[in-house]
Amino acid sequence: MLNVDLNKLAEHLNNQIPGANATVHFPEDIKKCDPSLTVEASKIFQVVQFLKSHPETPFNSLHVISGVDYVEWMEVAYVLTHYSLENPRQMILKVKLTDRVNPVLDSIVKVYAAANFQEREVFDMFGIRFNNHPDLRRILCPDDWKGWPLRKDYVAQKDYNGMAVYPDGKMNFEDREFIIRQDMIKKAQEAKAH
Amino acid sequence: MQTRWDVGEPERPTINEETEQLKSDLLTLNMGPQHPATHGVLRIEIWTDSEIVAHAIPHLGYLHRCMEKHAENLDFRGVIPFVDRLDYLASMNMEWTYVAAIEKMLGTEVPRRGELLRIMTAELQRIASHLMAFGTYALDLGAFTPFLYAFEEREKILRLFEEVSGARLLYNYIWIGGVWNDWTDEQLERVSQFCDTMEIEAKKYHELVSMNKIFVQRTANVGVFTLDDCFSYGASGPVLRGSGLKWDLRKVAPYSLYPEFDFDIPVGEGEVGVVGDCWNRYYVRMKEVVESIKIIRQVLNKLEAGPVMGKVPKVIKLPKGEVYMRHECPRGELAFHLVSEGDSKKPYRLKVKSPCFTHVSMLPHVAPGQMIADFVATVGSIDIVLGEVDR
Repeated sequence: MLNVDLNKLAEHLNNQIPGANATVHFPEDIKKCDPSLTVEASKIFQVVQFLKSHPETPFNSLHVISGVDYVEWMEVAYVLTHYSLENPRQMILKVKLTDRVNPVLDSIVKVYAAANFQEREVFDMFGIRFNNHPDLRRILCPDDWKGWPLRKDYVAQKDYNGMAVYPDGKMNFEDREFIIRQDMIKKAQEAKAH
Repeated sequence: MQTRWDVGEPERPTINEETEQLKSDLLTLNMGPQHPATHGVLRIEIWTDSEIVAHAIPHLGYLHRCMEKHAENLDFRGVIPFVDRLDYLASMNMEWTYVAAIEKMLGTEVPRRGELLRIMTAELQRIASHLMAFGTYALDLGAFTPFLYAFEEREKILRLFEEVSGARLLYNYIWIGGVWNDWTDEQLERVSQFCDTMEIEAKKYHELVSMNKIFVQRTANVGVFTLDDCFSYGASGPVLRGSGLKWDLRKVAPYSLYPEFDFDIPVGEGEVGVVGDCWNRYYVRMKEVVESIKIIRQVLNKLEAGPVMGKVPKVIKLPKGEVYMRHECPRGELAFHLVSEGDSKKPYRLKVKSPCFTHVSMLPHVAPGQMIADFVATVGSIDIVLGEVDR
């Protein structure tokens, strides 16, 4: 369910909002993957506001805000949708953040009320702060949790208020697999030597 | 960092002029996390002005199990049992949504019998989930008997699922490429019998609860979500339909073999009270049970012998890209945002869009001005499962 011409929309955005810098990303195989539209991070509020009241293809609802950490940069994906029986629509709108130390975005709670909890979750998991958010707190983790769990370079704290939360070798499956693989290689080599 | 105390003193809502002089200091009341009416471990902090709720703050995370982080360390097949545990009352629908996202990226073709069996299990699961919603909602409002009636029928579905998948709640039954196990003719016959009894039972429930005077007084005109609220908060499923929009992904953006099937989308019409209140949300669910029975009967007619698993590579590797897969689940639209880095056996990122999470965020909006007892009715009417909210 897409029903929206992203190229046309990107052109429209660039004309209407100076500096929006909208670019469309089409995957190699359009049947298998979804296309997305990337805009400048500093313009996200204006872009979303514009898309909500777009004359031809409005989007009346926000489905989800999801973050992705690509190590060199972080991405926040807004999935907008249009609840209409005649013209259902959906699009993925993205912004890129290169600053990992203090990433900041403008909150869109004033446009979509759904963004309130969603932005809190992105803040909780990726440490991205949202300007003008009414109540920016952690939502799933405890308030005094350290670190941003869904970042790729995250290392869980060993204990939390005296409770062991990350015993050695409990969470990181890759380490375990790596060790097992090393053992197998060693055994095979020994068998060969005999 | 901001705290909830920075929100400031909430306004004390006025119900009528008589209560105006009775305004008192605000009292903080914790509903949950062990309160039976919160359907799990949800804690809602309510600031009350005597009996009237002035402000409600949901506190989530008591059941947070780092599912999204775990998914990044598992191969694509290994995530399926984790997905089960999101919404443990509708595991089949959860599995199907996740598997559909993988299959879209993989380009797998599912055999017809496998696809039909998926539809059948998903609809059976929808009935089971709605029965649970019906039972616990009546329980919230102080009626114990409907709960027992609902469990009697739900048990039949769970028995069937146990026979085909080996588990009662967390199935790991729908696999990439099809379903794990075929149903025997004897089991299908029992599904058919179940449809017959369920239809009679559904009528009984309506007589017992739906038009019951006490039930109607507790739920009609209570906790009204307007359509604009629903759009702004991104509500879906029975909450959106209860507010009067005939939106169901199975019809609006059909997936799988749903275009072949003939069924209706029930919407809230405000038979008693106004559109969008608790009663309408409840009633939409009850009507959906009957529609699901219709679908299951059609599946049983269409089923032909054949394979249930398609051809899937042994090691699953997805192309570089992302996919956003939405399905209509009992509680609303579940969606997976799956990002693959290409040439990797694991998801790079798996984001779960949980319908209950959005519905919980609507609670602070409707709470001010409600009686505490009405607020309990509102929380029950959105039918939350905390496993899915906290993930």
